Amino acid sequence: MGLFVYSESMIKGFAIADRTKRGGQYVGAWRVLAPSIDYEKCTGCMLCAMYCPEAAIVAGGERKPRVDLRFCKGCGVCANECPAKAVAMVKEER
Amino acid sequence: MSEFDVMPGNKAVAHGVRLSRAEVIPIFPITPQTTIVEYLAEFIANGQLKAEYIQAEGEHTCLGIAVGASLAGARAFTATCSQGLAYMHEVVAQAPAYRTPLLMAVANRTLGWYWALGPDYSDMMPELNLGWLVSLAESNQECLDMVIQLYRISEDWRVLLPSMLSLDGFYLSYSYERVNIPEQEAVDSFLPPYKAPYPVDPTISDKWPASGLPPALHTTYRRLFEEVMEDAKRVINSVDEEFGEVFGRRYGGLIEEYRCEGADAVLVTMGSMTTAARRAVDRLRGMGEKIGLVKLRFLRPFPSSELRRIAEGVKAIGVVDRMVLHGTGGGGAFSDVRSALYSMDERPHVINFIAGMGGDDISIEDFVSMGRKTLKAAYEGRPEREVEFIEHRPEAAPPPVQLEEVMPIYPGSDGCAGCGSSIIIRHLLKVLGPNTVVVNPPSCSGVNFGGVVAVPWVLANYAAAAGYETGLYRAYRIKGKADKIYLTSFSGDGGTVDIGLQAISGAAERNESFIWLCYDNEAYMNTGIQRSSSTPLFASTTSSPAGRVWAGKPEKPKNMILIMAAHRIPYIATASIAYLADLERKIRRAAEVTRAGRGMAYIHVQQPCATGWYFPPEKTVEVARLAVQTGVWPLLEIEDGVLKVNIKPRELKPVEEYLKLQGRFRHLSKEQIATIQAEVKKDYESWLALEKMGKLPWY
Repeated sequence: MGLFVYSESMIKGFAIADRTKRGGQYVGAWRVLAPSIDYEKCTGCMLCAMYCPEAAIVAGGERKPRVDLRFCKGCGVCANECPAKAVAMVKEER
Repeated sequence: MSEFDVMPGNKAVAHGVRLSRAEVIPIFPITPQTTIVEYLAEFIANGQLKAEYIQAEGEHTCLGIAVGASLAGARAFTATCSQGLAYMHEVVAQAPAYRTPLLMAVANRTLGWYWALGPDYSDMMPELNLGWLVSLAESNQECLDMVIQLYRISEDWRVLLPSMLSLDGFYLSYSYERVNIPEQEAVDSFLPPYKAPYPVDPTISDKWPASGLPPALHTTYRRLFEEVMEDAKRVINSVDEEFGEVFGRRYGGLIEEYRCEGADAVLVTMGSMTTAARRAVDRLRGMGEKIGLVKLRFLRPFPSSELRRIAEGVKAIGVVDRMVLHGTGGGGAFSDVRSALYSMDERPHVINFIAGMGGDDISIEDFVSMGRKTLKAAYEGRPEREVEFIEHRPEAAPPPVQLEEVMPIYPGSDGCAGCGSSIIIRHLLKVLGPNTVVVNPPSCSGVNFGGVVAVPWVLANYAAAAGYETGLYRAYRIKGKADKIYLTSFSGDGGTVDIGLQAISGAAERNESFIWLCYDNEAYMNTGIQRSSSTPLFASTTSSPAGRVWAGKPEKPKNMILIMAAHRIPYIATASIAYLADLERKIRRAAEVTRAGRGMAYIHVQQPCATGWYFPPEKTVEVARLAVQTGVWPLLEIEDGVLKVNIKPRELKPVEEYLKLQGRFRHLSKEQIATIQAEVKKDYESWLALEKMGKLPWY
């Protein structure tokens, strides 16, 4: 849990937070369904990225979104919000 | 016939309270206590218990309600722990002098300091010496039985003091055990209705509890209280005996001895750890070691003479403590045991083990090792170290995923899938950037984002968050940094409209230049969906459940926007996660206003919560959009007193379209929906009418 992320400091008994040691949190294992983008339909509006609660959708090539599955919990907000209906939630082979 | 069921400790407490027919139950949620009061809400909602159930806006008020009810002669119950108990502290000190025999369950959790959710007795420690009876349960059955016993003991006119029932968080509160539920008739005859000797009721009594005494009498009354505590010991033992005769279960009163016959050494334990300690004693006895166990069932009154009796027969005592008296080098029970034995001519060695802090598990192996060390002290004399800390290494946490880009908040989080507050925090920090300081009263967000943010994230005490923020702001101002650092809260609705309100109101009145951002998921989601004063009309929550008697929350939410506008702060806005351009613009505006030192900016963002509102996670943004389109959540801003409704749908959609997506409204009748529709229309039109005024006249 985020509450328990700490670093040790140079002072005895003083636990600290250190922004230089922070990074993303792997949550890929939470997923049941994964978003799959149909790039034929995708207009590159990036609404999916803006609404993604996990910031798991980033700009890919050709100004189109790309899902970083390490951070995707599979909530489906992107698929629900896509105006072009270009995102489908699909069962993954893993 | 009494019946058996398998239940967690919190439910056992709730059953005890139901059987004891508590009449007034004020509550405020806090993990791991909350399910006690949720079970009680369920009992009341379904007609199994008739009681006044009040969700207070904070623990300080909560215990105040219990004391008030008890003063009026009602049987009162409440429950809390940790930070909540600390917040009650002042009222805890008041209750014994008013001789209010109320009962408070404390589902122990460590007191921050460094925060955690697991149990130790650092939460009860500051409350021990204020005149309450303090009892600790080992099992779920003992939880249920002690609720009944403690009311009987507390309400005895020889005692007439409030009681605390400690049950270890998680180990008892959430762990399931087989529990016998006594018959109501048997409990009724064992525990007659409470009769206050001097109720605050001018229709029946000309006398009531005094609130002050001349200084010269304070010493006398302190002495009298100590005599009452001695009397309480006799009552505790006799009530336990009588309970045993009626219900067939005896616990031993102040202490319980386990395999102490012929022992050279004993371990002294308390609470749920005792069960593991028993198994360790069994193991050591099996190897021929002469060791026993003493369970402290009450910490106040402290069983001094019982311990002296045991000490006469043993050579060493090992006290296992789940609390540290910082600055004394040892634990609380250790200190009490040693001082109880000091008057003896020949004393055994007393050694101390500090273990299980923050909920760290104390294993049977740990107890075996502690037992061996105590035996060694018995045969070889005082060990090198009188106090030993039993320490374990934590499991290694997975390292963060390294990313090339430096961001104010990294991807991923501990939040539920589809969490709306996650959308808000990411846009907030996107706008404000890396030189932002976030003040975070306890909420889901501290747990969810505390580990992925790369901006200072200051977890603040619940009711004091706006105080923390004020202090930070004033320090930045005097150091010339106020225009270089963005300062914002990230607070839930509980931390804003309820427990946090007093400090926010103070900051707003002083017009401190910082942002207060409230992400409003319309209930206490972090503790499991209890009503807040932001919960909408008729919504079902775990503390306002829809049942046979109740039909969801009967009140409308507070109008926080007008409360803030009453303070005449320069910028106030509502926002929605469905309208991100509007949200980002408002955050930017709030940043400009505060950076210019013009005063406080308040942003209230509705945050649909899939878990707490019971809708599928992919609908988070859709629900937010419908809230705006139906007029349930109007998007507006008030800048220097000028109110503007930002988004005006040509025609508001029927409110049913918004309600039907959410499980929390599933129980609604047609009439209730019509009432909600009428209220939404009235409120929406009120905003439009205020907009027409141009500038709010009091600005």
